[in-house]
Amino acid sequence: MTAGEREYVEAHVHEALARDPRVNEPELQVSVVKDRVLVTGVVPTEERRAAVTEVVREQVPDLEVENRTTVARFPDAGGAEQLR
Amino acid sequence: MIHVAAVGDVHVGPDSAGVLRQQLATVPERADLLLIAGDLTKSGALEEAELAATELQGLAIQVVAVLGNHDHHSDRPAEIADVLRDVGVAVLEGDAIRIDTPSGSVGVAGVKGFGGGFAGANAAEFGEPEMKAFVRHSKERAEALEAALGSLDTDVRIALLHYAPVRETLQGEPPEIYPFLGSFLFGEAVDRAGADLVVHGHAHRGIEHGLTPGGVHVRNVAQTVIRQGYTVYGFDEARSGDRVSMIAGASGNVQRSAAPSDR
Repeated sequence: MTAGEREYVEAHVHEALARDPRVNEPELQVSVVKDRVLVTGVVPTEERRAAVTEVVREQVPDLEVENRTTVARFPDAGGAEQLR
Repeated sequence: MIHVAAVGDVHVGPDSAGVLRQQLATVPERADLLLIAGDLTKSGALEEAELAATELQGLAIQVVAVLGNHDHHSDRPAEIADVLRDVGVAVLEGDAIRIDTPSGSVGVAGVKGFGGGFAGANAAEFGEPEMKAFVRHSKERAEALEAALGSLDTDVRIALLHYAPVRETLQGEPPEIYPFLGSFLFGEAVDRAGADLVVHGHAHRGIEHGLTPGGVHVRNVAQTVIRQGYTVYGFDEARSGDRVSMIAGASGNVQRSAAPSDR
């Protein structure tokens, strides 16, 4: 795969992750390294994380998927920031 | 002291039922109102809005929200807003709400906002109809924000947006996508009308703190930026002493930082 082809794959996978109703995450980052697609970013649930792998596999079945997204786990709020 | 809680980009979907309610459980004891800076839903489906409404229903403080681009994806923003209004959420788009707290009054003016970029690298209303429509939408929404902010005569005035009004809070995002993350037109509208704070979301990889060119505090409260369920901003009743000081960090340590004068 040439560098140009990798760019196109990255763009189309990014679009698929935004549009596919199982994921709908336009904020994820996609990069292709050799024959692997790396996806990074934060998703809200384990289900959406699993769906990322599914969608990428369907989009580029010949490439290996490395799903490095993490599931958000947010603690309770800290102290207040005083603005005035 | 008036306390305002804020969060954005919670992206509620069928797989995340219960998560938001748990994240917001302590808000009523820590704040006088809660701002949600758009993207309440994953894809703007009515079912997702109903889930978000269930999560917010019964929260013992006023919730004020604007919709985000995710909430528009299924082309049903008006219905999404109605579902949220049915449980008492004030969904703003070119209008404002006044909330009276024991410590003073808070006014919130809200619009979703839109893109176009920032001064020096911004889109102009020129060329193809699609391009002109893109820029015109931002201009119209910025005018609506300015008018809504101008209608407020409260002790604290806040602009609530989904898209970013300044580029500072986008640091960490690829510069190539800045024009899709916000527009200077909203910062300009805030500076013209005046405000104590602008809250926005949308830029998941950005940073929390910024200022408009006119010196108004800007806070990006996308949940992946604040990295907590919500964040809280405090305002003294008095209008004097305009300075930022962190009174307690997320770790709970009491700190005092020298604060730049903001006006």
